[in-house]
Amino acid sequence: MKFLVVDDSSTMRRILINTLSKLGYSDVVEAANGREGIDRLAANQVDVIITDWNMPEMTGIEFIRSVRADEKNAKLPVLMVTTNAAKDDIVEALRAGVSNYVVKPFTPDTMREKIEAVLAG
Amino acid sequence: MSDVRQKAVDLLIESAHEVFDMMVGRPLAQGVPIEGDALRPKANVVGTVSFAGSESGVVVFYSTTEAARQIAGSMLGMPAAEVNGEMPDAIGEITNMIAGALRTKMTDSGHPWAISIPTVTIGSDFYTKYVSDVKRVLCPFRMDEEEICVELIMMKN
Repeated sequence: MKFLVVDDSSTMRRILINTLSKLGYSDVVEAANGREGIDRLAANQVDVIITDWNMPEMTGIEFIRSVRADEKNAKLPVLMVTTNAAKDDIVEALRAGVSNYVVKPFTPDTMREKIEAVLAG
Repeated sequence: MSDVRQKAVDLLIESAHEVFDMMVGRPLAQGVPIEGDALRPKANVVGTVSFAGSESGVVVFYSTTEAARQIAGSMLGMPAAEVNGEMPDAIGEITNMIAGALRTKMTDSGHPWAISIPTVTIGSDFYTKYVSDVKRVLCPFRMDEEEICVELIMMKN
């Protein structure tokens, strides 16, 4: 199973990759913003996207809208990992096409639950 | 201390504990919060995130270089001695997560805030002066032998 991790913070990308590794997922491609994310998505057969919200160049919300605009990605699982966790934020993210939401800070168990939930559809 | 500022300080302390428990894996021992700016932490690494909304101000994270390396190493899963260029981004992310968690708790309790991106300053013998009329509350913690501090700086009005 291949993951695409999109975050402008190299620290967060590393944390997410380490967390995925602990959960048994080692096939990961990285991108530092939404624009890079679109390029990586075009070049790789990705099964799950994990994206931040606040990023330069293209935000996570803009990135997800762009991903969903392509019909073949209509059902691609997308997890948003962010500190933007007020109720209005979550509603905006879900409307943009996020499949599920992980609020920072998080534990590996939370990440496992959310991944299993998006994979279950 | 005003009710809103006391609430924000309580939630800031709660947010710092959550971030260190979950993302650093190094629980914090809490000291007694100090009002005013008479006591300045011994810090070479300072992370800041501003907020604005029903209240406005700054969340500040202070640590020594050694503590910052330990934090970055724990977050990244690498020995602190090998941490170098990764440290500023890690401290920016820690500050962002603490301020972001506080922002969510405040917003959900009727005080909507927006927050800025984090800024990290690294150096020695510097002091940050706030020209606005502010109230400051410094929250000290111990992470094993290292002291770290989180400060809430809030506009008086």
